[in-house]
Amino acid sequence: MRRTAGRLACAALLLGLLALSAGCAANAVKPWDRDLLAEPQMRYAPNPMLNAVDDHVYFSKEGSTGGMDVDGGGCGCN
Amino acid sequence: MQLATGGLSPSVLGRLRAAACVLLASGAPAIAHADAGATTKVDASLLVYGEQNRAKVTEPTARLTRLFPDGQTLSAQLGIDVITGASPTGALPSGVDSVGPPQTYTTPSGNVVTVPPPPPDRIPLSPFKDTRVALDGSWFRPLGLLTSTIGGNFSREKDYQSLGGNAKVSLDLMHRLTTLTLGAGLNHDSVFPVGGTPVGLSAGGLPLSRAHDPKQVVSGMAGLSRILTRRWMMAVSGTRMREQGYLTEPYKVLSILDPATGHSVGQLTEKRPSTRNRTDVLGSSVYHLTRDLVYVSYRYYWDDWSVRSHTLDLKYRHALPGEAYLEPHVRFYSQTAASFFRSGLVQGDPIPEYATSDDRLGSLRTGTIGATVGFRVPEYPGEWTVRAEYIGQFGNRHPGDVVGVQRQYDLFPTLNIGTLVVGYSITF
Repeated sequence: MRRTAGRLACAALLLGLLALSAGCAANAVKPWDRDLLAEPQMRYAPNPMLNAVDDHVYFSKEGSTGGMDVDGGGCGCN
Repeated sequence: MQLATGGLSPSVLGRLRAAACVLLASGAPAIAHADAGATTKVDASLLVYGEQNRAKVTEPTARLTRLFPDGQTLSAQLGIDVITGASPTGALPSGVDSVGPPQTYTTPSGNVVTVPPPPPDRIPLSPFKDTRVALDGSWFRPLGLLTSTIGGNFSREKDYQSLGGNAKVSLDLMHRLTTLTLGAGLNHDSVFPVGGTPVGLSAGGLPLSRAHDPKQVVSGMAGLSRILTRRWMMAVSGTRMREQGYLTEPYKVLSILDPATGHSVGQLTEKRPSTRNRTDVLGSSVYHLTRDLVYVSYRYYWDDWSVRSHTLDLKYRHALPGEAYLEPHVRFYSQTAASFFRSGLVQGDPIPEYATSDDRLGSLRTGTIGATVGFRVPEYPGEWTVRAEYIGQFGNRHPGDVVGVQRQYDLFPTLNIGTLVVGYSITF
């Protein structure tokens, strides 16, 4: 059951990747329409320091790791 | 700006309007660059982390970033973790309802301590104290449609050292609506337990080695980010990581249980495989409402130790007057157990090739709820961030692989954790 759920999740993400790469957005966003996109909070991780704290806390308490980056030091906490 | 229609056709008029907008849009950054010199940003934060009756961590961090007019940034970060408290040894409750002799442990900080025996139904804990110092640096450089980031990190604690580097390249495509990112990282870590590295699945005694045991981590990632509308962007990324070397937790043990009573009659050190291949896929979305923002991410993770996990993270940034904001946050996490996870071993059963009773490799769920407040103090420079969160960790309280009296005990009491982060950022 869990494996099925995992495969479904994986398939959904892969479909998402295909959709993004195919440029499925209905309309291209013009440069003069990017005022909101230019705001500093319009990022996947707008506060990198809080993000680093979270990565460290969860890495030390859980069996998983990973995300959008390949940086970050090792730790003897796990 | 108004364009008089005169005798121009509608199509020409439209093109002129678009051209004017492009000129205005593209000119703004150039003006900003001409006026701006290099600036420096300082970020400081303090994390206070506390587990109920267990570990406490205080972690001050400072980050210095130099932002150059051409878009390059250089940053360096120093963090210090001061860790005290106690953590589970991996052993099960003794099950013996009598006053036993004091117990001697080698703690996760490498000290040998003698403590009174815990109550018969209580999971044994081992006190520890350690300090970790971590240094990170990175260099971000824009190169037309490309951006590159090169980074390095070093950290050291009493029995662990990590040295690593990473590189990431992003390419903007399709009028900067799509960004493709590729990255790789390499860490060379060393484990040097105080007292030496124990022989895996042994009763302790003489250490296997007093040398530094290497652990190498190689990782690679690929990601695709896409602007879908004026308010919405999404990303999908995948990370692959290979760990090789000494991956065992040197201070953790497993209890050996009497098959009839379930009483603990001894203990063995744990042992894990020397390789681990981890993979995860992450989907992220940011949506800008009228003033507020919604952040959603989902990660699916799997590895060849049979750990699989789902992580769902939701944040809602609610804009308050005067550049302030309130950001509630919830996170749900669920993982399956590693294939060699055992709550304990039963006396007389064959000893497996690998075994651990570390809760973090067992079946567990984590729930997080909290909120961040960001604000500026009038007439003072800089921005403050305060975040408070509760983390609850829930595991298998009555696992099926224990015998006798152990079946009556709560072998994974809910772990209650509180965290407080205070951050301050200033640019000058």
